Amino acid sequence: MAGTRQSHIVTRLIAVVAVGVVLVGCGRAVATGDLQGVVIESPQPKPSFTLTDTDGEPYEFYERTEGKLTLLYFGYLNCPDICPVHLAQIGEVFKQIPAVARDTEVVFVSVDPDRDTPEAIRDYLDRFDHRFVGLTGTEKELEEAQIAAGVPPAFTVGEGDGYAVEHAGWVIAYAPDGLNHSIYPFGTRQTQWTNDLQILVSIEGES
Amino acid sequence: MTARLVVLMVSVLTAACGAGGTAIPEVSDARIGEPTGPNAALYFTATSNGPSDKLIAAGVDVADSVEIHQSIIFDDGVAGMEQLDELFLPQGASLVLEPGGYHVMLLGVDRLAVGQTVEVTLVWEKVGTMTILAEVVDPAHTMGH
Repeated sequence: MAGTRQSHIVTRLIAVVAVGVVLVGCGRAVATGDLQGVVIESPQPKPSFTLTDTDGEPYEFYERTEGKLTLLYFGYLNCPDICPVHLAQIGEVFKQIPAVARDTEVVFVSVDPDRDTPEAIRDYLDRFDHRFVGLTGTEKELEEAQIAAGVPPAFTVGEGDGYAVEHAGWVIAYAPDGLNHSIYPFGTRQTQWTNDLQILVSIEGES
Repeated sequence: MTARLVVLMVSVLTAACGAGGTAIPEVSDARIGEPTGPNAALYFTATSNGPSDKLIAAGVDVADSVEIHQSIIFDDGVAGMEQLDELFLPQGASLVLEPGGYHVMLLGVDRLAVGQTVEVTLVWEKVGTMTILAEVVDPAHTMGH
């Protein structure tokens, strides 16, 4: 995760431009008007990448989540403020609406491979919901997965054991049709999650 | 002239409300997100009862160490965090610690259960030390609904 802040800012700018293009794109195949997240006007397909799950087994993201509502989030365990809020809010919907939990795959990718062991990731996710999938990988694999998902790759800030990680703060939602109709930035409310996940699970593909 | 009198009266009232003549901030809504990893975050709202002040330190018995942090959400949605030396409480206003902004980070925190209360010491530059009670809450509820 080395690299200068400058180069990462450039990466970010490219990502922002890409999102901008996506947002001004036209055409909407499905009714997403009731979504309260940030609706992507020209949704992008779910990426394909393989990382390692908390059992140490390969996890092919595209294949394993095919046909399910998939919530993809890149974070890290030492983050006490933003990451747990997203995960806890999604876990709350799982508790309230079992039908959503049954048809949804939550995939948390740790972008802090130096500190977050598979066991620690499992322990962390179990505090929200034992069904949440946790992934890790080498720095290169993680960077490639983030780029494939259209988020700027995370990088570390600060020295010593207490370093922080700058990472994409939003959750990407791929509906069962395999497209990311919406994303959820930090600040999304519980009621918005509850509303949107019920809509997203029913967006089926045409084929 | 009338306006000046009102200001004076407000000053007198404010001073009268302070405990023993000092102006200890009023702290409300103190909460700690249930620890899910090595660290947890403490949030609260401090409302000034007098002159401006600065939160310069905090302490708890349930963590190895404590730092004052600010989460930053950049314009592009990227989340970052930085350590601060102090937090400013403006005169007559509130200092709000909440998810996505300021928080007191508890590093190497013990496992805490939802509903548990934790004694927290806050150290202000001018009024000194005060003790508050923070409730452990589900992380989904740290920022309200």
